[in-house]
Amino acid sequence: MATAIETTAPVRATPAAPARSRRRLGSRRTLLVVLQVATVVVLLGAWELGARAGTVNTFLFSSPSQVLAALSRRAASGDLVVDVRTTVTEVALGFLVGAVGGSVLGLALWYSRFVADYTAPFIAAIGAIPVLAIAPMTIIWFGTGLMSKIMIVGFSCVVVSLTSSYRGAQRADPDQIDLMRSFGASTGQIFTKVVAPGALPWIVSGLKLNVGFAVVGAIVGEYISSNAGVGHMILLGSSNFTVSLVLAGLVVVMAIVLVLTFGMNLLERALLSWERTTK
Amino acid sequence: MTHAIEARGIGKHYDVPGGEIEVLRGIDFHADPGELVSFVGPSGCGKSTLFNIMTGLLQPTYGEVWVKGRETTGTATPEIGYVLQKDLLLPWRTILQNVVLGLEVRRVPRREARERAAELFEVYNLTGYEDRLPSQISGGMRQRAALMRTMVMDPEVVLMDEAYKALDYPLKIELESELLATVRRSGKAVVFVTHDIEEAVTLSDRVYVLKAHPGQVVEEIRVDLGTDSLRIEERRLAPRFNEYYERIWRSIGTRPVDAGRAA
Repeated sequence: MATAIETTAPVRATPAAPARSRRRLGSRRTLLVVLQVATVVVLLGAWELGARAGTVNTFLFSSPSQVLAALSRRAASGDLVVDVRTTVTEVALGFLVGAVGGSVLGLALWYSRFVADYTAPFIAAIGAIPVLAIAPMTIIWFGTGLMSKIMIVGFSCVVVSLTSSYRGAQRADPDQIDLMRSFGASTGQIFTKVVAPGALPWIVSGLKLNVGFAVVGAIVGEYISSNAGVGHMILLGSSNFTVSLVLAGLVVVMAIVLVLTFGMNLLERALLSWERTTK
Repeated sequence: MTHAIEARGIGKHYDVPGGEIEVLRGIDFHADPGELVSFVGPSGCGKSTLFNIMTGLLQPTYGEVWVKGRETTGTATPEIGYVLQKDLLLPWRTILQNVVLGLEVRRVPRREARERAAELFEVYNLTGYEDRLPSQISGGMRQRAALMRTMVMDPEVVLMDEAYKALDYPLKIELESELLATVRRSGKAVVFVTHDIEEAVTLSDRVYVLKAHPGQVVEEIRVDLGTDSLRIEERRLAPRFNEYYERIWRSIGTRPVDAGRAA
């Protein structure tokens, strides 16, 4: 059978062009990294030099070496480990409740358009509440310990995840669902084989957004009441006018968010490898 | 003889604000095993509505659909498979996983499903592409995989709605030739819905010509191109092609003003 038209068709561009553009892309990338590193080095260097020369007020602005010293003091005393562990635990459990739970709820809403429409204004109302505004109430209800932090983190994640996973579920192609029906698929089969996997990119993008919101929630909770955690560390520093400790706390928060985001990117790559090849 | 699929007096009205629209009126047709039947008509003739009624996904306002001597009106049945212009392959599944989707739904054991699929990969020249993702193969291959996903279910009737519309011309010719060979070999009935007269003439044993507003069968034409060739390009060059083309064109073109307004 003459299928020559087809079998010669695998999409492959001429080899010369991509190689050249890849090389150009590579050098562009190197340049970017060099510029980014240089910017950090110059800024930190100027700050440090200024502090040593006395042009930067170290009482107000500290200096990179003082921040580093504060960080290592905190680490040596063992407080840093406790703070990081506390905050990461709050973030992880709250994320599980809010972001993962919200994603599951959002998917579940696919089963009933009626329930989805009925709950829509309530979900929007809950989403309109700033986490900072509800945090004190949470402390009253759930105490000053881990539970209230989990609730605050969960609260700051839940609506974003719920909404984005519901949107993702809604995007399932009606023709695809009809095709499944024509095969005799049950609603459950349509959900597991078409709707849920199709919503995955939206779920993952909701989860990625929520890494940041979860950390905000944990810090806010710790500001309001805590005896450990990175938020507690920052609060301690600022009430003692120890700017280097405050900045050390900021560095730790950035590190936590970066590590978690990196983890999310790995998860995304693992779950959505098909999407990258599609684009 | 019981027909593979038969429609008896199908009509469809849609409720719209301020009344209703009559989309289909009194459609009768049938297709027999090993036969390829086409519906051809202008836009607005209710082809897609008729298609959805045949698949069982849409309930007609009146009339009946019978498959292999059993009434199936308004119910999806395993004897009917269909292929659309959109390939509807799931982008996260490999081609093999897409092809066995329907078998999976019907809980056919994994090994058996793969064996059944493997045969089709040979017939449709896709061997070696089992583990590719849809995004990694060409449009023609995707459309083939979509047909395989239907064929692996072994339906008695295959419905095709503008299935090859999006393909470029040589590829379309190729896949249509394959389709014709499949129909002759498998003894399945194929109902092909199209607006393309040339496609209808070269592919079909019989053509139902539809007119629009409401969709009605105006003529049933038995096509005999006088050639045994299953290659579309040869059938296209058969001396009697023009005769049928003209006849269908005239049959459709009786109301050019309506057709223009609908488009």
